[in-house]
Amino acid sequence: MSASLSGVFLLGASYLALLFACALAVERGWIPLRLVRHPAVYTLALGVYASAWAVYGSLELASQVGYGYLAYYLGVAGAFLLAPVLLLPIQRMTRTYQLSSLADLFAFRFRSRWVGTLVTLVSSLAVLPLLALQVQTMGDAIHLMTGSTSPGLLALAFCALIALFTTLFGARHTRLHARHDTLLATIALDSLIKLAAMLALGAIALFGIFDGPTDLQTWLGGPGLARQAAVAQLDPGQWRTLLLLFFAAAFLMPHMFHMTFAETLSRRALLQAGWSLPLFLLLMALPVPLILWGAQRLGADEAGLGSAYLVFGLSNAWWVDALAFIAGLAAATGTLIIISLALSGMILNHLVLVAHPPAHQPDLYRWLRWLRRALIAAVIFSGWLFYRTVGIHHDLATLGLASFVGMAQCLPGMLAVLYWPGANRKGMVAGLLVGVAIWLLGLWLPLLTGIPTLIFLPPGLEALQGEPVWYIVALEALAANILTFIVVSLATRTSEGERAAAEACSVDAVIRPKRLPLMASSGEDFKRHLSDALGEDVATREVDRALSALHMSPLDGRPYALRRLRDRIQANLSGLMGPSVAQDIVDRFLPYRHDGQAATDDIHFVESRLEAYRSRLTGLARELDGLRRYHRRTLTQLPVGLCAFGDDDELLMWNDALAELSGIDGASVIGSRRNSLPAPWAELLGRALANPNSHLYKQPVELSKGQRYLTLHKAILNEGEEERGGTVILVEDHSEMKWLEDELVHAARLASIGQLAAGVAHEIGNPITGISSLAQNLRYDTDDPALLETANQIQQLTDRVSRIVGSLVGFAHGGRHVHGTSFTDVTLHHVTEEALHLIHLARSGQDVVYRNLCPPDLLVKGDAQRLIQVLVNLLSNARDASPAGGEVVIAAEPEGLGASLTVTDEGQGIDARIRDHLFEPFTTTKAPGEGTGLGLPLVYSIIAEHHGQIHIESPPSGREHGTRIHLWLPTTREDDEDRDEPDSDR
Amino acid sequence: MYVYRIMLFLVFGGYLLSPLLMSGWSSPDTAWYRPFAIWGILIALSIWLEQKRKLDER
Repeated sequence: MSASLSGVFLLGASYLALLFACALAVERGWIPLRLVRHPAVYTLALGVYASAWAVYGSLELASQVGYGYLAYYLGVAGAFLLAPVLLLPIQRMTRTYQLSSLADLFAFRFRSRWVGTLVTLVSSLAVLPLLALQVQTMGDAIHLMTGSTSPGLLALAFCALIALFTTLFGARHTRLHARHDTLLATIALDSLIKLAAMLALGAIALFGIFDGPTDLQTWLGGPGLARQAAVAQLDPGQWRTLLLLFFAAAFLMPHMFHMTFAETLSRRALLQAGWSLPLFLLLMALPVPLILWGAQRLGADEAGLGSAYLVFGLSNAWWVDALAFIAGLAAATGTLIIISLALSGMILNHLVLVAHPPAHQPDLYRWLRWLRRALIAAVIFSGWLFYRTVGIHHDLATLGLASFVGMAQCLPGMLAVLYWPGANRKGMVAGLLVGVAIWLLGLWLPLLTGIPTLIFLPPGLEALQGEPVWYIVALEALAANILTFIVVSLATRTSEGERAAAEACSVDAVIRPKRLPLMASSGEDFKRHLSDALGEDVATREVDRALSALHMSPLDGRPYALRRLRDRIQANLSGLMGPSVAQDIVDRFLPYRHDGQAATDDIHFVESRLEAYRSRLTGLARELDGLRRYHRRTLTQLPVGLCAFGDDDELLMWNDALAELSGIDGASVIGSRRNSLPAPWAELLGRALANPNSHLYKQPVELSKGQRYLTLHKAILNEGEEERGGTVILVEDHSEMKWLEDELVHAARLASIGQLAAGVAHEIGNPITGISSLAQNLRYDTDDPALLETANQIQQLTDRVSRIVGSLVGFAHGGRHVHGTSFTDVTLHHVTEEALHLIHLARSGQDVVYRNLCPPDLLVKGDAQRLIQVLVNLLSNARDASPAGGEVVIAAEPEGLGASLTVTDEGQGIDARIRDHLFEPFTTTKAPGEGTGLGLPLVYSIIAEHHGQIHIESPPSGREHGTRIHLWLPTTREDDEDRDEPDSDR
Repeated sequence: MYVYRIMLFLVFGGYLLSPLLMSGWSSPDTAWYRPFAIWGILIALSIWLEQKRKLDER
């Protein structure tokens, strides 16, 4: 009683001012975000679990049951050590579906707004004693420090400051799931302060009252032995029940659920909390027995302080009392802030919004924010009120245990959410009602009214007679709850929606959403539909937010994308108004279209989820997933185009080969309807689907790569009992094959012309020789000039016919292996010179200039005579095309494994229309009677025989007219061994 | 994922056997810090498992 009331108020107000300063510093960005979002901050914020119970209640419990007080810490530590199997699945659900409280989770899983309402009511009733406990410790501490008879008023002032802080910094965001960096950092600081204060008090006891650990051990074995022996030990049943209650509190208590899941940083942070929170709790628990033993040694336990507040008996120094007060105030403050925040959200979503839907609010966000602030203040005030009316008549352990036993009634439901998809809402509600009724009658009403417990022991449990009430009520309520839950769930039917939600929540299941079309056809359409429920502004903001999160265009009309958009909007609205209201809104304003078709699984979405879950799969599931991935990879990387459609014409697969062929990325079209695919695919695939035959051969389509010929093969997947129906289409690019076929037809035509030519030559050759001989004889038999002229003309004409026949025979034999043909090293320069010599013998074209620029040492492998024939043909064509005085240039140079030779003239060039047909027989640019049209086909044959290449460039690059013939001949011959093979046609 | 089974086993085993441990803690022959030492060992084991999990998932 060394402090004044104003002094204590100043101390408490200073502490709360420090929290305000911290919140302001974080909000203004004075503290780096890297520090604020460090996993250690999250762990410290989770330390909100260590409420005023951890400071004063633990002392009370330790003085009553010795090490039994550790159950409060070990239960939660156990839950966090199991974070990977227990907390991570809950975190996954809450993040995916934007669930911010236990009521949200239960309403989502059991598909009932009434479940959410019931859980909210139970939580509110259960948490009240805990809230009162926080305020009561403040009041008691103030009373102990100041001797004031009305500490409740000062406690009310602190509550008002805490409510102000929470509404200012905790209810800034409308969405409950939005992370509050400010709040997280402030609670972390709060935890750090209470930890430091507790460690300091422990150190004062250990080193100030005792002379260190050895002295303490000596005291415990000597003078302290009697006191320790007087402490009753918890029996195993009570100990295990306490552990279970505190284990459940780790994820059921509103403030723990909120901090663990709604304010969660990341999966990694939660996993780290798996060991760091138990470490924090170890440090919080360690000073408790030291303080108790220190106070006992000083005899403070006999000074009438009350076992919960022995810490105030450690020293007469004011600062030790201040330290003890700050430890308790910090613990109570953090708990009050987070409980009020969490509970106000639950009441808003599951009581207020359910009773008064938010439709047509002019400013929905502002309305929600102010409603929430009012609820925060109401929750904190109700805690104070409960303390003043009920709490002051009970010790801390009674209040705390009443609270924890109440919340534990949600444990069967939570375990069912995670591990029992067969549980249904009827079972859950029935079990919860039975359990809560026993708890209300056994603990809560007696707490409120002071009447003895109304619970009777059923036959067979008489052994529990005489045990503490909390223990009997906890056992009975939980046993009846679980039994009712199981029996009713097994005896009643589970709805389809519940089964789907159960699969979504179950640890081992992957969500299997159904593939149904929506009434809305685009993001813009979503805004129009939702504005009826939320108003135009809010609807636009919510849809834009979801579109931006999904990186979607507002005009995207793919059914798959629209379903994802609907899911995202539902999740976002769930964060805003709770899952029940959110589901109502999307069901009413964004309904599915039922075309009479049975809904099938959305396999693309299932696969994308499986990809995300991969690291969590174990055992057989992992093996099967490996197999699935292998088959998936096989289809994706198949070197043939593949696409798959569902029964409703929705595109389910578009593999890599098809993406490359079409130039359309799979991600942009999967989930579209067939008829909304880009041209020409919608029409082409539609034709394949409608075609009664399984194959469509060589369909001409215009793609970005030019015209292609595609062959489509279709397989229909018949729908089975547990199998999805659909169609698989293979798309093969047969353009190359089509071109090869065209080439083959062309070659066959050439071959038939060759055969004809050979036959004609054979038949014409003999009579022509006879005519020529007779004309020759006629010249010797007469001197008549007229007859001699006639004979001369006959001979000229027969010579011409012979040349034509010779060309025909040459062409007929061209391109085939001729027996005895020998390929040797041939100098291109020499061959050109020979050809020029022959050309010069001709009478015409004397005025054309020829320039042989071939290097003298450039060799190719070939038949010199046939190459001379080639050059004679090319040079004579060049000569005929050249104008008077024109120049024909023959040049050569090494190129790759051969040599290239060009013949360039300065003629008019070749008409593009016939250029491509010049190598076909009887195609000529010369006047009728001037050319046979067999020269270039012969050249082509000879060059092909030499495994060379030929092409025409007209006009040559960089010139306006003229023609350049390019030849390429190899310098080596690969099939030397073939050259002596007999020609099979001969 | 397999490493979690060890933790599951330890936590539930500890839950069932904890009353036996607790009765020993109250004995005057037992060092007062023994419960905290056991707790510390469990935390160290948990840190080790967490490191192992990180390596497994890498």
